[in-house]
Amino acid sequence: MIDFEEKVGSVMVVGGGIAGIQASLDLANSGFYVYLVESTGAIGGAMAQMDKTFPTNDCAMCILSPKLVECGRHLNIQLMTMTEMKQVEGELGNFTVFLRQHPRFVDVEKCIACGKCAQKCPQKVPDEFNRKINTRKAIFVKYPQAVPLKYQIDPVACNHMRGGRCRECEAVCPCGAIMFDDYPRDFQVKVGSIILAPGYRTFDPTGLSAWGYGRFPNVITAIELERYLAVSGPTSGNLVRPSDGKPVRRMAFLQCIGSRDYNQVLKNYCSSVCCMYAIKQAMIATDHNRNLQASIFHMDIRTPGKDFERFYDRARHRGIAFQRCRIHAVEPGEAGDDVTLRYLTENGKQISEQFDMVVLSVGMEPTPEVIALAERLRVALTPEGFAASSCFSPVHTSRPGIYACGVFAGPSDIPLSVIEASAAATAAAVRLSDVRYSLSRQKQFPPERNVEGEKPRIGVFVCNCGSNIADVVNVHDVARYAASLPEVVFVEKTLFACSQDSQEIIRKRIEEERLNRIVIASCTPRTHEPLFRETLRASGLNECLIEMANIRNQLAWVHAAQPDEATEKAKDLVRMAVSKAALLEPVPPVSVRITPQALVIGGGLAGMTAALGLADQGFPVHLVEKAAQLGGNTRHLFKTWKGEPIPPHMDMLASRVREHSLITIHLKSAVVQAEGYVGSFTSTIHKATGNITVDHGVVILATGGQAFKPVEYDYGLSQDIFTSLEFDKLYAVGDERIRNGRNFVFIQCVGSREPDRNYCSRVCCTHSIQSALTLKQEKPERRVFVLHRDVRTYGLREDLYRRAREQGVIFINYDVHQKPNVVVNEEGIEVIVWDHVLHEPFSIPADVVTLATAIVPNPDTRELAKIYKLPVDADGFLLEAHVKLRPVDFATDGIFLAGLAHYPKPIEESIAQAQAAVARAVTVLSSRWVDLDLVKARVDPRRCDACALCVDACPYEALAIERVESRSDSEKDRQELVVRPAKCKGCGTCQATCPKEGISVTGFSYAQLSAQVRSALTN
Amino acid sequence: MIVIRIGQLADQLGVHRNTIRNWIRSGRLPARSMSGKRYLLTEADFSKICQEFGIDRSALRLKHVPGAPLMSREMGLMEENVRRIGQPSGRLLGAPSWGEACMTCGSCASACPISGVDGLDPRKAVRMAVLGLEEELLASQWPWKCTMCGKCERACPMNVEIVALIQRVRGLRDRDKVPGPLHKGVLMCLAKGNNLGIPKVDFVSLLDEMSREMVDEGCEGFTSPVDRKGSRIMMLVNSKEPFAEPDDMKHWWKIFHAAGESWTIPSENWEGVNWALFTGDDESLKTIVGRIVENMYRLECKTLLLPELGHSYYATRYGLQTWFREDLKNFTVTTVFDLLLSYINEGRIKIDPSRHKMLTTYNDPCHYGRKSLKTFGQGYFEEPRAIIKKCAPNYVDLYPNRADNYCCGAGGGGWATPFKEERVYFGRFKANQIATSRAGLVITACHNCRDQITKSLRYEYDLKADVKYIWELVADSLVLPGNRGKRT
Repeated sequence: MIDFEEKVGSVMVVGGGIAGIQASLDLANSGFYVYLVESTGAIGGAMAQMDKTFPTNDCAMCILSPKLVECGRHLNIQLMTMTEMKQVEGELGNFTVFLRQHPRFVDVEKCIACGKCAQKCPQKVPDEFNRKINTRKAIFVKYPQAVPLKYQIDPVACNHMRGGRCRECEAVCPCGAIMFDDYPRDFQVKVGSIILAPGYRTFDPTGLSAWGYGRFPNVITAIELERYLAVSGPTSGNLVRPSDGKPVRRMAFLQCIGSRDYNQVLKNYCSSVCCMYAIKQAMIATDHNRNLQASIFHMDIRTPGKDFERFYDRARHRGIAFQRCRIHAVEPGEAGDDVTLRYLTENGKQISEQFDMVVLSVGMEPTPEVIALAERLRVALTPEGFAASSCFSPVHTSRPGIYACGVFAGPSDIPLSVIEASAAATAAAVRLSDVRYSLSRQKQFPPERNVEGEKPRIGVFVCNCGSNIADVVNVHDVARYAASLPEVVFVEKTLFACSQDSQEIIRKRIEEERLNRIVIASCTPRTHEPLFRETLRASGLNECLIEMANIRNQLAWVHAAQPDEATEKAKDLVRMAVSKAALLEPVPPVSVRITPQALVIGGGLAGMTAALGLADQGFPVHLVEKAAQLGGNTRHLFKTWKGEPIPPHMDMLASRVREHSLITIHLKSAVVQAEGYVGSFTSTIHKATGNITVDHGVVILATGGQAFKPVEYDYGLSQDIFTSLEFDKLYAVGDERIRNGRNFVFIQCVGSREPDRNYCSRVCCTHSIQSALTLKQEKPERRVFVLHRDVRTYGLREDLYRRAREQGVIFINYDVHQKPNVVVNEEGIEVIVWDHVLHEPFSIPADVVTLATAIVPNPDTRELAKIYKLPVDADGFLLEAHVKLRPVDFATDGIFLAGLAHYPKPIEESIAQAQAAVARAVTVLSSRWVDLDLVKARVDPRRCDACALCVDACPYEALAIERVESRSDSEKDRQELVVRPAKCKGCGTCQATCPKEGISVTGFSYAQLSAQVRSALTN
Repeated sequence: MIVIRIGQLADQLGVHRNTIRNWIRSGRLPARSMSGKRYLLTEADFSKICQEFGIDRSALRLKHVPGAPLMSREMGLMEENVRRIGQPSGRLLGAPSWGEACMTCGSCASACPISGVDGLDPRKAVRMAVLGLEEELLASQWPWKCTMCGKCERACPMNVEIVALIQRVRGLRDRDKVPGPLHKGVLMCLAKGNNLGIPKVDFVSLLDEMSREMVDEGCEGFTSPVDRKGSRIMMLVNSKEPFAEPDDMKHWWKIFHAAGESWTIPSENWEGVNWALFTGDDESLKTIVGRIVENMYRLECKTLLLPELGHSYYATRYGLQTWFREDLKNFTVTTVFDLLLSYINEGRIKIDPSRHKMLTTYNDPCHYGRKSLKTFGQGYFEEPRAIIKKCAPNYVDLYPNRADNYCCGAGGGGWATPFKEERVYFGRFKANQIATSRAGLVITACHNCRDQITKSLRYEYDLKADVKYIWELVADSLVLPGNRGKRT
């Protein structure tokens, strides 16, 4: 073990994709210094290449960009681009990392990303970021919103570096930033832990003759389609055929290209994301062109995530065709550049169909570089090339102190990557918590400039949003118009107002032009205002002196067909924003003290993991469990899908929780009341012995779920029909029905994917297959049948499915319109099912029928959600702040979630989510003070007569009447309305209730709003 | 049940036809497709739709049919008349990879040119084996219409050994029920040394006579090659040639003569065909290959030229590797491609590339290509192309080609089975490939491919292209010594 003194309070994160970014931010926000190592010229990773994200169809860049910028300017994150990790020495707590930074040939200190060099550069090469659909110059930025926004020279392409005598960029660069003599630099850094998030590459189908990639011009990969669909992509979002530029009418998606293929590709896993992204792309393509016919050819549709099943339903209802047949080959079409696909229909008939575009849904695979890195680092890999880990420590690699997240830890989508990233942050932080703050730095803002009494000097920044806005709105016109408005002294257009260099520009302009009110005409304040507020603070302006005009979501995206009118409307919106901005006033910041203690509700696997994660970092925890013992649902499980026994882990976990000095356990207890806000909650816990109250800074909800009790398939009518959990128990005790059974039938999707519960329970396919495999392995002469709707052994679980088939487990695909019939009679049980291959019914004599029942949310969750004023979704699961990028947060700060309360999930994902919730909670607990949002109600004492009308209306109990004692005898005691700023959400209900204009919300005062409305009405 | 047509229903409901199609596809309208673009709908579902659209259904004239056949979706799955699932005996599936590994993805059945014939396809055949419907599978003629071309295996993501299964199925059939002359040919070959029972005297005198013709045709000093001990190369003969097309033997003879090769043909057991591969009869396959080995010793030859015929090349190579590994230390084997290419590359024969100016293509025989690649880790794809391009430089490939090529339709003994219609139907892909390539000359290296294309596909599908064996192409391009420039 390393000495206390030797531990290093910094962490290295390898890989600047979404996982690396999230891990870096979580650690940097909880008192550690982070080195973020990225092999290319800019962070952003694969997510930056995506157009939209499923299942919400959010613009990927729009939700990623704020995180990029935050990373780029975080005081405690050092970006190391073009850098490669060579070797690691030392051990947990004190690693020495040897790095090599490859030459960029551009001085990042000097480059201002003006783009003159690229304009001048004569050398065009295929643009890798756009999957070579178009070209870039030899000197380039990776993509327009890149962080850091600095040019780099591609030495392979550059004329000069290849021996020519070009040097055009050098001649034109105004800053002298070009360094042709740049060279690789080797250096070393000391860190306490290392997080590996090096990502993946998409499978390259080149050379596989079956799909004709590279031979037929209209056969493209999904990642190419992503760039075609992207508004900022090479075709500005126009979906056209590569061969002739014509619009696409009949489009086919071929699933499992480079996944689940044991013949020509040798990939023994499911890439987990392709079904969803194909559905998303089909939806977006049909959004672009309603006449487009899209067909998705698949083996199983795997949509096991939150809200995925409904997304799949929407696609079906829109008319996207789902064909359960793998395509064996792409063949030349009857006309022109069309192609022919020959496949089996649902009825087993072979037909051929013409398509004018084929999209290969390529899977994910580890890169050789990553495999080599893992070998250098002595980090064990699975046979498939992903980081090997135990289900009980999903982000720990085989080498202590090195953690893995994102696709490196196994094929995963964005939410799971983000969860794992936060979990890795926790894993890294737990072992370094005694050296927290030792290397981190505090953010320092310049003193605030006093603008009181100054005449408004408004600066307007009009954003192109790449082409998102500029394609519809005449941005020049809008800018010219803005300059003509009263009190506007400065106007500037930006390509992306949210990019890091734009923040610097805004900061400079504020100083140079002495601006004191800022209007940003760009997108929605919901996602981007915090960013601009911070820029204002960095410029010495009060953060409230900003107003945004949303000319993207409310304008460019909805009026794309009427550009002229849209431009006029943009002017109206800018005018309104300017007139309001003139009336903006500075508001002093509000901070509250954090109670460094946590409340965890739910004593199951997720709850216990979360409690330990917090307590191990030195934060006291109250753990509330309604049952008489810890363990929750996990007490009923026996093996993880990797085959590790669960009970020993649970025993160890429970005893560690019981023995931990910082954890107070409340059994047979429930939270019945709560109040407060981030950093300062007070919850009332009902115990058998009476109620107690607990003060805490954060809450983690891990209230779990339950098994659905089936009513179908004659459950309860026979002694031989069980649910999966019952089967496991009986198997464990050696029940003779199972021991002596010869014919076993597992029926999947019992209660899941039904109109009442339109979601997939995620774990049941794996669970049943595992049981089936065990039965077969014990006695190969047993006959085991799994009746399923789609086999959803996502990720590396695919191996179980393959092994089960090879052991002779028979899988029959039933249709939801024609479910199996379980007939109980004197001789026993017959299960009658329609075989999807032979197209005829068969009866299976069954000794044991096991029903894979749904996981349903705990009914108490709804109650608890009310207490903490949290949203639940239509199925009764807790609804997180953002399904993609904030999967363990709520919209309400300081409250986090984990485990089955969020959605059905297996052991390792529950543990990862609990650890992620810890990471997010620690970002609050580790900062002693928290700044509150400034959009709050404020009382105007001159107008308020404390009538208390608003007090009852306030949904957050943020208002109260207080008695003020008179200062002299002549006066009477007064009543006064006070706002508790930490509770106030700035919703404005009070303002709407007040008949006297006695209370208003910052930034939404009557004066400001009426100025805005007046301005809208007067042209 | 109600029979609807999409157009009719669309008119009645006042929506577009595509809307109805979308409803059906998405399951919103639970209709089942029938023949002739008609769909079957339950009364209840139809009433629901009518209600939704405010239509008085009594005003509509509809075709009603009695409840759909048993086990329709609407009736639910009832016990009556349902077969019990079978119990596999273990004799069909040699290993899990022969069937159980199947993911039922449909790749094989999509790729197979005779999917749907007899209501079967590769996927169904595998499924029947897995579900234990063995007797039914053994009784079916489909496995004999399958050409065992391996296209299904190539497409299979799980690498299921479909061909091995089909071969096992064929082998398990009662020998007197083997279709056509296949089994009789094997018996004849075992008894008389060749499939057609040609007596040794007839064969030897035929070869003598033809040798004299060779001299007349300009090959000075050509003598009968029969039983020349100590020759470098021993070759075998497809019995159909001495029986019906003796002149086809001369192509090789000319090439050997031009190359100055030392070669021989055995007087007995010279059959270059091995139908035991098709009947799944491993014992006979081994015996026939064993006789070839015996001939090699008897005639003291150094190199065996593996038989020309695709399947026979494969069967012999397979037999040698499986049962005669030790003997392979005493002699080497070569293939028609390796031999021809060595002659050309070493300058032993001279080729006139100007004689074949037409657009020429090559049909990859399954056994030389795809199946050889899979079984022996080496397929002959580039060698034949190199040879052809020397003789007929105006070359174009069929698509798909090489390991992805379609079978001509006559493989698996297809040329000898009585299933002519199926064989021609199977060949539609090949015919289409040839037609779209616009080639005027098709080269192949297998007697079955050549016969199928020449004698069936050209007539049935109106193809204009000529067909030649690859050795025929070389022989026709030969510049013979002494006859410089003169066409042979």
